[in-house]
Amino acid sequence: MNATLKINGQVREFAERLPATLAELLKTLHIDEATIVAELDGKIIPHAEFSTAVLRENASIELVRFVGGG
Amino acid sequence: MAKTPCPFFELKNAVVGIAGLGGLGSNVAVALTRLRVGKLILADFDVVDESNLNRQNYFHDQIGRHKVDASLENLRRIDPEANLSGHKVRLTPDNIPQVFAGAHIIAECFDRADQKRMIVETVLSKMKDVIVVGVSGLAGYGRSNEIRTTRLSSRLVLIGDGVSGTGPGIPLTAGRVGVAAYHQANAITEILLNELGSILLRKES
Repeated sequence: MNATLKINGQVREFAERLPATLAELLKTLHIDEATIVAELDGKIIPHAEFSTAVLRENASIELVRFVGGG
Repeated sequence: MAKTPCPFFELKNAVVGIAGLGGLGSNVAVALTRLRVGKLILADFDVVDESNLNRQNYFHDQIGRHKVDASLENLRRIDPEANLSGHKVRLTPDNIPQVFAGAHIIAECFDRADQKRMIVETVLSKMKDVIVVGVSGLAGYGRSNEIRTTRLSSRLVLIGDGVSGTGPGIPLTAGRVGVAAYHQANAITEILLNELGSILLRKES
């Protein structure tokens, strides 16, 4: 059975198991976590808590990525 | 000679924070001063460097001065009565709520991606009801129409093309940074008038 997450409104399937935490998800997606503002099920998760933010099946995640320049 | 009256008198009750006074912030501050936003809270720890003059609203004779002081001077040349407060501090998750206390909207005007993330995350998680207008993706030149204003949530507006970061061979240019800065100023204007207008008017009574 596949495990799924909803990321920025799109359903994404994971073949074996869900990434355990937000930090693991970002690592899987090859995204530098220092540049990400993340919302998990409607709640903003501070960067310092990414590695303890546990993902459950069908969790809804919004990721906003910042690139440098200003 | 009398000043041109501001067509939006409710804006005199608006408070906007500007986090970072580089290419984005120095130009957002100019636009909002010209709009007669009631109060601007400016924060930056840096000093004007010659390399800033290609896109930031400073002048050659201001090199070496704190950006906060140089901006205050420039903005008061536009409006001597502008209500401005300047903070020469390095913004952190701990001091952001105090520095920008009272702000209705905060403009994220930093340069580094991790700092942009830090302030947006801090405003959204620690400052109830405050809206943040951030920028991601403005490096290079041309492609003006790829810079977009997107309302991601009730409290987060994101401006930029989402992908063009600075890097080797990808400079920041006055035109494209300016496009993004004025998107920011225009988004802030729109929110103040269309969404916060009734709150700002109530302060009259």
